[in-house]
Amino acid sequence: MLFKVQRYDPETKTSRLDSFVIGTPEGMTVLDALFRIQEQLDPSLSFRYSCRGAVCGSCAMLINKVPRLACRTQVAALFGTPTASRLKPWRALEARADWRPRTEVLVEPLPNLPVLKDLVVDMTRFFDHWRVVEPALKPAQDPPDKEYPMTPAQVAELELYTNCILCAACFGACPVNDQQADYLGPAALAKLYRFFLDPREGENDPRLLLAHNPEGWWACQFHTNCRQVCPRGVPPNIAIGQARARLRRLGKKPLDSLDHD
Amino acid sequence: MDLIHHEALVIGGGLAGLRCALALLEAGRDVALLTKVHPLRSHSVAAQGGINAALGNSPDGTDDTPERHAEDTVKGADYLADQDAVMAMCTEAPAAVYELEHRGTVFSRFEDGRIAQRPFGGAGFPRTCYAADRTGHNLLHTLYEWAIARGLRVYEEFFVTALAVADGRVTGCVALDIARDVMGGFAAPAVVLATGGYGRLFTRSTNALINTGDGAALALGAGCPLEDMEFVQFHPTTLAGSNILISEAARGEGGILLNKAGERFMARYAEKAMELAPRDIVARAIQTEVNEGRGFEGGHVHLDLTALGASRINERLPGIRRLALDFAGVDPVAKPLPVQPGQHYSMGGVPTDADGATPVPGLYACGEAACVSVHGANRLGGNSLLDTLVFGRRTGARLGPGLPELPAPDEAAVADLLRRETERITALAVREKGTKVAPLRAELRRLMFDHFGVFRDGAKMAQGLELLAGVEARAGEVAVGTAGGPFNHTLIHALELEFLLAIAPAVARGALAREESRGAHARRDFPKRDDDRFLKHTFAFRRDKVELEYREVNLGRFPVRERSY
Ligand SMILES: Cc1cc2nc3c(=O)[nH]c(=O)nc-3n(C[C@H](O)[C@H](O)[C@H](O)COP(=O)(O)OP(=O)(O)OC[C@H]3O[C@@H](n4cnc5c(N)ncnc54)[C@H](O)[C@@H]3O)c2cc1C
Ligand code: SF4
Ligand code: FES
Repeated sequence: MLFKVQRYDPETKTSRLDSFVIGTPEGMTVLDALFRIQEQLDPSLSFRYSCRGAVCGSCAMLINKVPRLACRTQVAALFGTPTASRLKPWRALEARADWRPRTEVLVEPLPNLPVLKDLVVDMTRFFDHWRVVEPALKPAQDPPDKEYPMTPAQVAELELYTNCILCAACFGACPVNDQQADYLGPAALAKLYRFFLDPREGENDPRLLLAHNPEGWWACQFHTNCRQVCPRGVPPNIAIGQARARLRRLGKKPLDSLDHD
Repeated sequence: MDLIHHEALVIGGGLAGLRCALALLEAGRDVALLTKVHPLRSHSVAAQGGINAALGNSPDGTDDTPERHAEDTVKGADYLADQDAVMAMCTEAPAAVYELEHRGTVFSRFEDGRIAQRPFGGAGFPRTCYAADRTGHNLLHTLYEWAIARGLRVYEEFFVTALAVADGRVTGCVALDIARDVMGGFAAPAVVLATGGYGRLFTRSTNALINTGDGAALALGAGCPLEDMEFVQFHPTTLAGSNILISEAARGEGGILLNKAGERFMARYAEKAMELAPRDIVARAIQTEVNEGRGFEGGHVHLDLTALGASRINERLPGIRRLALDFAGVDPVAKPLPVQPGQHYSMGGVPTDADGATPVPGLYACGEAACVSVHGANRLGGNSLLDTLVFGRRTGARLGPGLPELPAPDEAAVADLLRRETERITALAVREKGTKVAPLRAELRRLMFDHFGVFRDGAKMAQGLELLAGVEARAGEVAVGTAGGPFNHTLIHALELEFLLAIAPAVARGALAREESRGAHARRDFPKRDDDRFLKHTFAFRRDKVELEYREVNLGRFPVRERSY
């Protein structure tokens, strides 16, 4: 199988597309393939990894023009199914590459973040935005002696959002993040909403105001690429929609954004 | 080159490292955390099944107590655990779970709103608190959120290559800043190893790829012995091929094990506990079925969840269903999963007391990197997340107040180490000729799995030691062969291979010398436990070569009995 891998050399600040031919036995993931390339063909290839089990969030990249976790992507499954077609296009998707979608695997770094080397991107902005939403519980009073009571239904709703592994696949897939570098992005907003929802939280509504601005809730245009690429089934679009509804109920007006839904 | 100064360095950003760093922050200390991957990418994130604490929330567990938890732990450990430390852990367990709950972890609940608890192997009561099957993920994200809110200084993607020692005291460390491709020297009066386990010493492992025993090797290099390294847990149910863990929760929820003939074979190995017998017993049962020809082609058996039905699987085991679909292409709602034993947990590690202190002044350890020992010869499921939180906290809490009294770090020693490590690693990064890292590493892992794996015996291990010597001989000329530069992962792999090679003899020699079977250490040639000779901790020292000594186990509370289930 022919793999085309985007390379970036930070010293010369140049990119190129390298081709590698490797065998792809049944069950091989794209992460396995990258290791094989690194171990057998080019030891200088760089990419992040850790768990190889789709839980640590290290390995999000653009594979055949879809942001996904390399470790969770079976090479064989890349063919036969229509890819990218349902995603709303953004620059990275439209950037042309010398690649045959039916027979070759194209691996590029996660879009919308600066590339540091090959497939390794700088996650600083992603985590800065995460920090903006002050992601830590702020309970109203001192905790009880034992646990705070919580119903299974409350847990189920929270889990939708606590399942996020902060892989940034959504960030890389978002056409708004592409256009607007300061947009907090789907993951940070989903995280904010998770704390808003939490029955233990003491600052539920005030929290929503952290993103009541043109970089926050109001920047989203509901392309729902985030939801589609999320490897954990997190629905940031739902969080954003519900947060906006809540803000409206609190008498807040939509703040200037590209679109007033 | 300027040195970086902190009052304490914590190496490792998993649960143990973060919890320890938080305790140090709470004591008002200037602590920095170094980690070779972003903290959230630590192996802790992968823990599925849960964390043990005698909360007594389950209707079937209202009589549970820390004492009973401790008793189960000691028995599960095949009596090799230090009972005072076990008692400390089990007594603090409820507080550790409530603390994380108060900080934001979303635990699964019973209908009455209390934290849900499920049955886990080797436990007398449903004692395992869980967050669906993403317990480690939820705990780690909570701790990281808390740590960042508290302003913890994190050196992300810093790979620690050596500890600085002066006059027998650890006085700092040297690390490769992976993103900038420069070496940095860190001076501090105290260094805590929270680097996780050494699972990737073995071919088949459920562990993250980064679990290469770095902490144990760093400690050895600093003159610290290693404790009970031969005790390596093999998890009975890993997905055949990728060896991704299928948590014990699958069996706790009612999954059954079947051999090729469709027989529920656990009846022959653990009549009462069946699939919920401790994992070493289940692992050996599966391996025996496979070895004796009752397994499926490719060396696995079936874990059948189909009787649970789709809704129960979706509610209780959603992560396991996803993993099975993504990594084996099998839907457990419809078909049994192919499973085989794989390395899972490292009981051995850097010896510590119940407050994280090692035999070397200035050096501390907690979490899977440490050997307190609370897991003895075999860890019970749900006890290691607990270990990370309890001993992480205790290590920081004990170290924090006394830090100002510790001798100031020896800057000259750190600077000297920095110079030597920089030279060594720069040369390694560009070396073109020699053995490639990956095949040598594969050879090491295969020999360790084949010769020091689920079953062991003297002749096979002696042969394994010879093979190991062969690998060691070629390791001197490893070639990285890149031009250097940032994110040099092949260089990282070469450094990790050095660490693996440093600890492999401790595992191998400890296993060969222990002429008995105990917990996870199962010898065909010595199938019985031998308390007279081996109710003792192994301490491996690196002198000219690895030398073994034995230390007493702290007993006293629970009588030593035969371990049967
Ligand atoms: C698949 C799986 C499921 C599990 N499920 C459970 C469960 O349900 N219940 C339970 O109790 N236990 C479970 N365990 C065990 C448990 O997850 C681990 O024992 C525990 O998380 C270890 O945490 P730790 O903080 O000690 O180390 P880790 O989480 O492994 O963290 C190690 C840290 O050290 C850093 N590090 C390592 N080397 C270096 C170096 N050279 N330089 C700098 N940094 C370094 C890493 O970057 C990382 O941040 C499971 C284990 C596995 C494999
Ligand atoms: S919401 Fe999904 S895609 Fe986005 S960071 Fe979280 S897990 Fe990744
Ligand atoms: S390596 Fe952890 S998510 Fe892919």
